[in-house]
Amino acid sequence: MFLRGKQKQNHHLDPDDGVPSSDQRRRKIQARIFDLKKQIRYSKWWTALFFLISLAAAVNFRFLPPITENIRQFLGASPSPSLISIALIVYAFSALILILGRMNTASVHYRGWSHIGYLSAFYLFFYYSNTLRDNFWTVFIAGLTILSLENYRVWSVCSEAIKNEEKMLTFMDR
Amino acid sequence: MFNNFASKAIVPVALSLTGFVIICSIFLYTSIKGDLMRDTVRQETSLAETVVSATRYTMMTDDRKSLNHIIDTIGAQKGIEHLRIFNKEGVTMFSSNPGELNRVVDKSTAGCIECHSGPEPTVHLGSMELARRFVNAKNHNVLAITTPIYNDAQCSAGNCHFHPAQQNVLGTLDIGLSTTSMDSSLMALRWKMVAFCLMVLILSVGGVSALLRRNLLTPIEQLTNYVKKISKGKLDNEIPKGVNEIETLGQIYLDMAKEKQFAETTLIKIKKTDNTNKGKG
Repeated sequence: MFLRGKQKQNHHLDPDDGVPSSDQRRRKIQARIFDLKKQIRYSKWWTALFFLISLAAAVNFRFLPPITENIRQFLGASPSPSLISIALIVYAFSALILILGRMNTASVHYRGWSHIGYLSAFYLFFYYSNTLRDNFWTVFIAGLTILSLENYRVWSVCSEAIKNEEKMLTFMDR
Repeated sequence: MFNNFASKAIVPVALSLTGFVIICSIFLYTSIKGDLMRDTVRQETSLAETVVSATRYTMMTDDRKSLNHIIDTIGAQKGIEHLRIFNKEGVTMFSSNPGELNRVVDKSTAGCIECHSGPEPTVHLGSMELARRFVNAKNHNVLAITTPIYNDAQCSAGNCHFHPAQQNVLGTLDIGLSTTSMDSSLMALRWKMVAFCLMVLILSVGGVSALLRRNLLTPIEQLTNYVKKISKGKLDNEIPKGVNEIETLGQIYLDMAKEKQFAETTLIKIKKTDNTNKGKG
């Protein structure tokens, strides 16, 4: 998202500026390297957030107040744990396919944040159906696999792009 | 480390495949465990009902000696950790462990709280709600069922008895079975699944590595050596074979090298001719 905004800005600037000077080009390259490094950092932060949520789920959200009968009546009956598990498997399968598909597009944008939302929702569903203890590892391994693959994708694309940008910088410095 | 062909191809495949297999294995394990638990609870409920039926006559006739004998005999069976009968007030009236007799059970403990959580005790519960798991004083894992002993027409109408017709539950029977056998089966299943996941990981990494080595890495290495050779001017026609794209690349490199050599030779000839002409001039 951040990179897309930057690209739009750059796109608006280029035609008016004419041929950019070597200093401008160097600054643009450095900005691009900074953005790419930022994407790698983002992926690490989101993974750390997932670990924190998992830690809370591992202790069965002990710090949360218990769900009262009134809230249960308001929200209704929870779906059966096997249905939630099947939904989790379908989600994990499609998420992995989508990430593998994105590897071909060489997109540098990190999309792991949406997965944190989905995975937290699964934790909450299992918590609501009182089966989080039995199903914690399924959600945790699913999250670990999906986020690791997404992180690897972002890291490999970004580090390759950073290497190319750095080569360009070295070439300009000659 | 991860910047070469092999790891770029292997890491995503191995990660997604193994991760997904682990997720499915855990799901399978959890559902098998749930099914096993439900079956065990069903069997245990049936056993508890059998004990209640078998002891009903002795209860009706207030034959405490026979009832004690039945409880002791069933409680001594292999796999039965405890068997006790409580009266309406929660006092242990009969038990396979004589030390527990006449003790009052705390109604807020597991096994009692399920019915006694509200102001009025619940009369009917599902079989899974009657079950509880815990580790007993002998450090054995126990799956216990607390089943109510209901009042019926014979009980309330009997001239020897004093239970009023409106009293639904006369007492409870609590039976606990050891889960050692189920736990060991589950542990064996868990190890089998770990082995299965490891095999999938080895097969996926090994398979992808072998295919990559055969179809990509070796031909690229051959092409690199070939290009190095022709860059030194050794123009041979032994282009690396096996993969069409690599063969085409090799042919293009060879043609380029030949053209370069031809151009250099021509240039040298032209220079020589120029020098000769200058010398003559």
